[in-house]
Amino acid sequence: MKGIWAVGVVTFLEGIRNRSLYGITIIALLLLVSNLIMSGLVPQSVGKLAVDIALSTVSFTGLLIVLFIGINLVAKDLDRKTIYMVLSRPISRQDYIVGKFSGIAALIVASVAVLGLFAALSIFITQSNFPEYFARFSWGSVVLAMVFSALSLVLLSAVSLLFASFASNSFITLVMTVIVYIIGHSLSDVKSLLSGGSQIASESSGVVVKLVEVAYYVFPNLSLFDLKLQAAHGLATPVSYVAWVALYGVGYSSFIVCLARLAFSRREFP
Amino acid sequence: MNLKGPVFRPFLFFGVLTIFVSSFIKCFMIEITDVSKSYKEGLTKRRVQALSGLSLHVESGEVFGFLGPNGAGKSTTIKILVNLVYPDQGNVSLFGQAPGGKDVQSRIGYLPENPYFYDYLSAEELLLFAGSACGMDRVSIKKRSKELFELVDLAASSRRPLRTYSKGMVQRAGLAAALVHDPDLVILDEPMSGLDPIGRKMVGDIILSLKKMGKTVFFSSHILTDIERFSDRIGILAKGELRLVGSLSELVTNGSSLEDLFLTKVVDVAEAQE
Repeated sequence: MKGIWAVGVVTFLEGIRNRSLYGITIIALLLLVSNLIMSGLVPQSVGKLAVDIALSTVSFTGLLIVLFIGINLVAKDLDRKTIYMVLSRPISRQDYIVGKFSGIAALIVASVAVLGLFAALSIFITQSNFPEYFARFSWGSVVLAMVFSALSLVLLSAVSLLFASFASNSFITLVMTVIVYIIGHSLSDVKSLLSGGSQIASESSGVVVKLVEVAYYVFPNLSLFDLKLQAAHGLATPVSYVAWVALYGVGYSSFIVCLARLAFSRREFP
Repeated sequence: MNLKGPVFRPFLFFGVLTIFVSSFIKCFMIEITDVSKSYKEGLTKRRVQALSGLSLHVESGEVFGFLGPNGAGKSTTIKILVNLVYPDQGNVSLFGQAPGGKDVQSRIGYLPENPYFYDYLSAEELLLFAGSACGMDRVSIKKRSKELFELVDLAASSRRPLRTYSKGMVQRAGLAAALVHDPDLVILDEPMSGLDPIGRKMVGDIILSLKKMGKTVFFSSHILTDIERFSDRIGILAKGELRLVGSLSELVTNGSSLEDLFLTKVVDVAEAQE
């Protein structure tokens, strides 16, 4: 446990002090400022637009953090052989993976919390300027959308950790994580397209339909965590949905971390 | 309770017998028996032999110098000792146990060759990490770090991020991290590499002071003078095979030098093989 804690703390500190994080934060702030300007330019659906831009900014910058900081936090250890010093301590390979995941997850949660505060501020200012467009607005939906965004990013970082545990370099990890991200967000739509009675469904071969079905259960369904639309329209999300998706996120992440531990446990560092 | 009574007599007898027998069995700090290791290389996954049937032992309190040209297999041996790679065959034991266990790892201090640490951490935080991973409390780590930073001459820069350090400073920070938990066995892979003459003297002094404290030091180098100055026993490795092992006083006799011995055992054998 001491090993996991030590690796987690170091990972978090390395991530939070990384200069790239400042760059990403500046991009986020610029996007949020543009939110204020855009709201003034568009004369209709200001509330929906403001919430959508604010939440999209949080999830987009969160994605950048996972891809460019999260992956690097493991890749640098492997590429620059820092792992020699870590694993020569009483820290097992399995503890290392759990520690890294904990540190990256803490970094994502902290980053989403800070970005979320700025996003909330931009929504609040827009709401103060155009209160007539915020009749169905709910802060609860916005916060829930941010929490789910953080959860999906944590899940994605678990996936990237799995790839890093056996990939020979960080570029492969990056590419595979991006592929999973794209599949994870589009698979649900593709499945519903193929399973419906549409023309595409009737024209598709059985093999393709079967493949999509298998992929649907293997890849993480990241679109489940996307509650931006509900937040923008002020729609309530059923408690059962929230509970099941949260459970799915935690369960899937834990399973993937277990796989990463398994893959990493016999890895050598020549 | 009568410890000399008939019930306790057999236990007493076996206890005394165990102590008597164990005093004759020598427990080595490091014991490597018939270890071989190969790596897969390139796209074709061609096997390259790094170690072949390596056997050696290091006794407690000894400074063992591991000598060999580049690519001889010194780092591979060390990586097997600290559980970074696994041998294909053979046995390795440290303190009488297999490498990798938490008890074993917490008694080892390891400095890798050309170490690279976390960019955004300071040397103080590095030692905090190294110490806490070994189960030390914060106060003890702080106290020990202060002593070590004085020893490795990093006291003035211990709060600076490691990415601002020179190569020699990183090496010295790595040495402090290897020693923070007061290990029984110190394994140093090319500890002098990247150091200026003052730094080399400092590392040499540390090795000698560790020896005085009764610690066991296993260090690799391809610099003969370093090995000659600090080692009680040496092992010469070339092309993954142990060519020679023994105490310096036995091996380097009057009229010969370690350089002659090294050239005979490494260069001549290599030429004969070709």
